[in-house]
Amino acid sequence: MYPIVSITVFLPLLGALFVLFIRKAPAQAVHGIGIVTSGLTLLGAILMWSRGVNETGFAQFEQINWMPSIGAAYRVGVDGISLPLVLLTAILFFVTFIYSARVRKQSHAFVALMLLLETASIGAFTALDAILFYVFFEVSLVSMYFMIAQWGHEDRQRAALMFFIYTFLGSLPLLLAILGLYLGSDPHTFDMRVWISNPPLEGIAAMLALVAMLITFAVKTPVFPFHTWLPAAHVQAPAAGSVILAGVMLKFGTYGLVRFALQMTPDAFREAGLVILVFGVIAALYGAFAALAQSDLKRMVAYTSINHMGYIIVGVAIAALATEPAIRATALDGSVLQMVSHGLVTGALFLLVGMLQDRAHTREMGQFGGLLKVVPMLGWSFVLAAFASLGLPGLAHFPAEFQIFLATLQVEPVAIIVILGIVITAGLYLRAIARVFLGETGEKWTTATMSDLNYRELLALGPLLVLIIVLGIAPAWVLDIIHKTTSALQL
Amino acid sequence: MGHDLALLIPEIIILLTVVVALIAEMLRFPRTVLTVTIIGLLLATAQTLPLLGVDTGVFGGTFRVDMLSVWAKLILLPATVLSLLLARSELAGSDREGTVYILVCLVSLASVLLAGAGDSMLLVLGILLSGLASFALVACPRNDIATEAAMKFFVFASVTTSVMIFGLSYWFGGTGSTLFSELATLQTKPVIAVIGLMAVIIGLGYKASLVPFHFWAPDAYEGAPLSIAAYLSVVPKIGAIMAFAQIVRDIPMVTAWSLIIAVVAVLTMTYGYLAALVQNNVVRLLAYSSIAQAGYFLLGVVAVGASPLALKSLIVFAAAYAAMNLGAFAVVMQAGRTLETFYGIGRKNPALGVAMVVFLLSLAGIPPLAGFVGKFLLFGAAIDAGFLWLTVVAILNSVLSLAVYLRIVVPMYQRRRDSGLSAAAADIKSINDPVTAPAPLITLVWIIALLSTLGIGLAAQLLLGQLG
Repeated sequence: MYPIVSITVFLPLLGALFVLFIRKAPAQAVHGIGIVTSGLTLLGAILMWSRGVNETGFAQFEQINWMPSIGAAYRVGVDGISLPLVLLTAILFFVTFIYSARVRKQSHAFVALMLLLETASIGAFTALDAILFYVFFEVSLVSMYFMIAQWGHEDRQRAALMFFIYTFLGSLPLLLAILGLYLGSDPHTFDMRVWISNPPLEGIAAMLALVAMLITFAVKTPVFPFHTWLPAAHVQAPAAGSVILAGVMLKFGTYGLVRFALQMTPDAFREAGLVILVFGVIAALYGAFAALAQSDLKRMVAYTSINHMGYIIVGVAIAALATEPAIRATALDGSVLQMVSHGLVTGALFLLVGMLQDRAHTREMGQFGGLLKVVPMLGWSFVLAAFASLGLPGLAHFPAEFQIFLATLQVEPVAIIVILGIVITAGLYLRAIARVFLGETGEKWTTATMSDLNYRELLALGPLLVLIIVLGIAPAWVLDIIHKTTSALQL
Repeated sequence: MGHDLALLIPEIIILLTVVVALIAEMLRFPRTVLTVTIIGLLLATAQTLPLLGVDTGVFGGTFRVDMLSVWAKLILLPATVLSLLLARSELAGSDREGTVYILVCLVSLASVLLAGAGDSMLLVLGILLSGLASFALVACPRNDIATEAAMKFFVFASVTTSVMIFGLSYWFGGTGSTLFSELATLQTKPVIAVIGLMAVIIGLGYKASLVPFHFWAPDAYEGAPLSIAAYLSVVPKIGAIMAFAQIVRDIPMVTAWSLIIAVVAVLTMTYGYLAALVQNNVVRLLAYSSIAQAGYFLLGVVAVGASPLALKSLIVFAAAYAAMNLGAFAVVMQAGRTLETFYGIGRKNPALGVAMVVFLLSLAGIPPLAGFVGKFLLFGAAIDAGFLWLTVVAILNSVLSLAVYLRIVVPMYQRRRDSGLSAAAADIKSINDPVTAPAPLITLVWIIALLSTLGIGLAAQLLLGQLG
């Protein structure tokens, strides 16, 4: 049994080092290496998928001693919550590499940074040692900072700085919580499996640790009122950066919410469940209303992310409040599936907005009109992704949100007002489609000035769109894996 | 007696090195001086290795050979060698070259003595020896800035050291002994214990540049040759911090000494980073940053005796700090002293750029670099000792520090600003920057520092395992 998890985690890093060593290679070759490396990583993730997960605990566990005298080690492994996210990450990086093969500005550094980011992302989802998790978590921040600062749009330096300092500040409470859990565990260890099976803190200490973790993950997710970095970072980030930021890095927040907050301080989480639920409802509604007010397509998609992440928080809070294991499993199933769906759908939407911007050099909805006739493939792809994002049955978000709402109705019926968010997102997406793709075609946009999707772009978008439909019609193949873990979860 | 001397072999080797080097300097062979000092220091480092695991006192407990002092030697002596290489590339050919190497060795000797001080007389000796040699080092460029800096340094040091000696006399009066191990008898005389402690904070605070005794540091670093600034920001500072740890081990708990030091730590971290935030001169920025880092060291000092992590964390962070700070100064020697000269460095010289980014992010405490491991252990030690609030303050300061260090990182990847500014910067550069040709020694130093910064992060177990 070769260590497939570690190979998957560090393959991109090897690719990054390789890219740095061949400084003379032309840009195409470098992008080729990026695509091949991320393709192999995807293969690794698929192999991990085929090995599956256990009924209880973590599967495919690998360990190397690192700092035994303080109980820290290199520990990786997956369960039903992390494995879908690993696969999602590998898919998103793969298509992003295909899409960004046109980047010519410092392509060596770009590919190397993206690969570093991929290692950090997969690492964060598979890490089972708190220090290791924190290391990957922060490395992803540093690489995303450089990504925005180097390849972003006009005001990139300011946005990158804001992103870095904001999320760095946000991540430090987690460090405190980790230290607290470490000092509370006996014998002292950073092994997350131990912390999960036997929560080390209780009472006021657990509550303090929970609050610290909630701050970190609320900034990362992001939850109103900690969301202000998100629109700024998204608007300035390059399209590839936006896809990864929204598709993968926001999931650190919700994944951490489940893995750390819910599993390591379950009692405190249950006590604070109502407050967290309220934050989730507010985030979902606020995100929807704020998105409604945007005229910039990218900002709009960014705000709908806040809305979708709000549902996940509602789902996790409901899972904590639920007393019946079946309902808890339903809520968590929905939440984890929502993370995957959101990655696919928002990834596709950011890619599409990026493609539109490549052509038109603007993202203002008012500047467009009737594009469906000019660029039919791009247009219909956007319509499909937008319908998925507003939760149309048969597309990726529906099975996820449905389960979350189902569980909510059973546990805390009042919270179902969150469903208003769906109505609003439906309205805003229909309006966006109408303004950009329907109506009169502006004189500026003709088939001469704007070409439809090319081969490379289709290759990048295709897998995401197919998966959106597959996940909408037949979510069982993912849900089975998720359900294995969530149904056995002891809280 | 003979046994005691055997435990002092590293210190004796350094002393002999200085004597041989002085003879070579009298004969005007500066390169021989360099060779002799480097070989001597490396030999002393090698001779320290057999002492690992020893825990005893020599000469009636006046000098301690324990984990702290042995590791101080293992960290400070190689750091001194790196500083000598930097000094060589900066001062080669000047008539004071050889003298500088010898003075550097003397300061290192004083610093390792401080790190093992078990007696107030040895403490005073260490501070005076390190001080006298440091003044001369700062003054060595023979220009007005350097002379002014050395003068300030001298006056400041004289006053604080006098106050310290005065305060130490209370301890002597109270215990009837100069040994720190007798301090436990002050259990019933908390006032005397506190007076002495305040005096020690003043005396060592100046050496470690703790706020509010830091005023000399930015001026001295700016006036001195860069290699000397790099050296002064690392070796004497770590020596003083270790001395601090040696002393607080024995102070009776009744004095709430840890609270006093915690307050100094907060002041030092916060003021250091706030002041660094407004500097345009990279040397001054790094000077304030090294002041702030001293505050982090105090987190470990606070926890001494209360947490088993305290001494480990101090040692790991000392190693990390030596590597990353020397590295950052080495890059500054190659790049220039003002923020303006950093524009576009990352594009022109990618390797140098990556190295500087690593040093600065490590100073900010970003994982998986050395600075993170050190700070993480320090935080753990402080929380374990019941200083959660202090850790929270330190963590908030880490955010501030990121803003400080990004002030250098951001311009490195930007194009140079409009010509007016860069012309002025070019003028400053031509005055201030003594390094003109690409310097292989500087490159060697930052490569070693880079490998250490990365290595300590990944292979921290090698250190921790030795620490037991």
